[in-house]
Amino acid sequence: MRAFAPAHAPPLAIATALVPLLVGLGCAACARTRPGLSEAGRVTVVLKHQPLWGDPAAFRALLDRFRRENPDVDLRAETLPNGSDVAREMFLTALEGGAQDFDVFAIDVIWTPEFARAGWLADLSKAFPPERLRRELLPGAAASVVLQGRTWAVPWYLDVGLLFYRTDLVPRAPRTYAELRAFAEEARRRDPSLAGFLWQGRQYEGLNCNVFEVIWGHGGALEQDGRITLDTKAAGAALDFLRGLLASGVSPRSVASAGEEESRRVFQEGRAVFLRNWPYVFALAQAEGSPVRGKVGVSPLPSESGEAGAGALGGWQLAVNAHAPPERIRAAERLVAFLTSHEAAVELALRYSRIPARRAVYDDPRVRTGAPFIASLLPAAMAARPRPVVPEYALATDAIQGELSAAVAGLRPPGEALLRAQRIIDRLESR
Amino acid sequence: MKPASDEKAALFVAPAVAVLGAVAVVPVLAAVWLSLHRSIVIFHEQRFIGLGNYRFLLEDARFWSALRTTAYFTAVAVSVELVLGLLVALLLVRGHGLLRAAVLIPWAVPTAVSARLWAWLFNADYGALHRLLPSVDWLGSPTAALHAAILVDVWKTTPFVALLLLAGLQSIPSEVLRAARVDGASPARAFFSITLPLLRPSILLALLFRSLDAFRVFDAIYVLTEGGPGNTTETLSIYAFKTLMRSGDFGYGSALAVATFLCVVAISLCFFRVLGRER
Repeated sequence: MRAFAPAHAPPLAIATALVPLLVGLGCAACARTRPGLSEAGRVTVVLKHQPLWGDPAAFRALLDRFRRENPDVDLRAETLPNGSDVAREMFLTALEGGAQDFDVFAIDVIWTPEFARAGWLADLSKAFPPERLRRELLPGAAASVVLQGRTWAVPWYLDVGLLFYRTDLVPRAPRTYAELRAFAEEARRRDPSLAGFLWQGRQYEGLNCNVFEVIWGHGGALEQDGRITLDTKAAGAALDFLRGLLASGVSPRSVASAGEEESRRVFQEGRAVFLRNWPYVFALAQAEGSPVRGKVGVSPLPSESGEAGAGALGGWQLAVNAHAPPERIRAAERLVAFLTSHEAAVELALRYSRIPARRAVYDDPRVRTGAPFIASLLPAAMAARPRPVVPEYALATDAIQGELSAAVAGLRPPGEALLRAQRIIDRLESR
Repeated sequence: MKPASDEKAALFVAPAVAVLGAVAVVPVLAAVWLSLHRSIVIFHEQRFIGLGNYRFLLEDARFWSALRTTAYFTAVAVSVELVLGLLVALLLVRGHGLLRAAVLIPWAVPTAVSARLWAWLFNADYGALHRLLPSVDWLGSPTAALHAAILVDVWKTTPFVALLLLAGLQSIPSEVLRAARVDGASPARAFFSITLPLLRPSILLALLFRSLDAFRVFDAIYVLTEGGPGNTTETLSIYAFKTLMRSGDFGYGSALAVATFLCVVAISLCFFRVLGRER
């Protein structure tokens, strides 16, 4: 597996590893295949998931409960590399090779359409009918797993883009972009060393989330009839707005090379008024010793019109390996049902601050008292929108990142960058 | 020599040839074969399209931009490394063994680790380098980012060049230099007329190693910028990697890999020609 960790290998190894990697794809799976039935007719189910930060004991206890309730299942949990891109590369090669050494696996919300299209995900429509998911889950979460009327994965926990603000520097959360700018400029007049609005402008998937949110905030849509549409008026206005933030100094230049952590640190040190980021920031900013403890407010993102803006939907979903034999798929479905149940979601919210995909969990008294911050996220979670739910998105996202970054960095006018991105998307979709 | 010993010799060489063929020749041929197909993982598409990928490559602006970036990176990084490496080597000839080992530290640190370290130095909010030169937006500005990457590469590989040149310097017989001094040659004259010409083979070797390595640069830039902003630091290896592993477009990704391979072969051939003339 070392060959899949490019950041750790010397350039020579990368160049030489790429080629044999491709040749090896075909037989990678045969070596890894393992019989599904262990001794005494018990079914082995392997769960692959990303590490849940925090004390692993609570998650282990959760898995033990499943083991007690399902004595016929021999459950084994394995953790994935933390980087989402690295995990995807691993799945891409393993699943293309027909790997059967895992049954339930956690996938990033944007991979579902792609993996489903490739035929790597078992159809879960029988065990988890789309209508039921739409009834029980938040709208964005349900939309991200249902494709062409069939269920391909079940949302495990969510992430959603939020606006963090300093309650001691601004009167209230801004509802419009104009308010955001005005509040930031006002605070900066009083203290010019402050950064106004921090977001993530580095060339990576997070940049797409940031830009998409502003496109939605300008009333735009990213999908039309199942195709990705970027070359729109709203998208042009969104990029103009972001460029304007940088040009006017409301956002510092460092935004163009910042990811989540870089921007979170600056905000937490008390050096910024506003921050767009994911919910994890709240616990860190309010932790003991944090300079902004007790001064952090959270709200949905602003928009042009003043309605609550939609945050990008992130998070992880549980899918079942289509290559697994039927009896393991059935056992795997039981595991997915258990891990995505109301009870498990309460546990994940309380122990790991994970945002629930189930609507009812936000009203659960245990969550309301034990994790009031999570309970307060319901409006933002309801408004969250998935990135384009089409298989081509995963193919095109890399090209989109490059063009959006070019626009944000001022290399190309927004209109031209969007046109170039659209051309690349159209070429991919026309295949 | 009897024919029997020829056979024996062939037998002894066979394992090496087989291993070389299996790990070098076969994968290259497989990549070439794959590059003649339209092969997209998630669509389960795999059909022969001849030179279609290469036709697209010729008009792919992103490919040409990556090629330009790679060539610029290689030319600048290798030139600076050579000059600095030579200076360091000249200083080290008289240096202590411990000093020589200390100089090698940047070379010994894994690139991913040192690139992360440099990313923090360049960081626009905390970075020490940023404090020193606040007007430069190291990783965020399209013009500065590539030079930041070159700086990291120079920092890392100058010791390697210095070590190669040091070995060359030590193989220059000291009596030649002593004779020059006796004849009244100035140190500068001795350097340009004796040391440098005798060092030529070492310099060419260092150039060959470094050019090939720099042309395939991946990890340092990938960790620093992932090719951003706006693909201005995207090299051929990064473009090929993203196309292969992120987009799952194996056909076009292989075409990019083959193009990189051909560039590297061309560079090697040039160097071998010059080196061959030396002998």
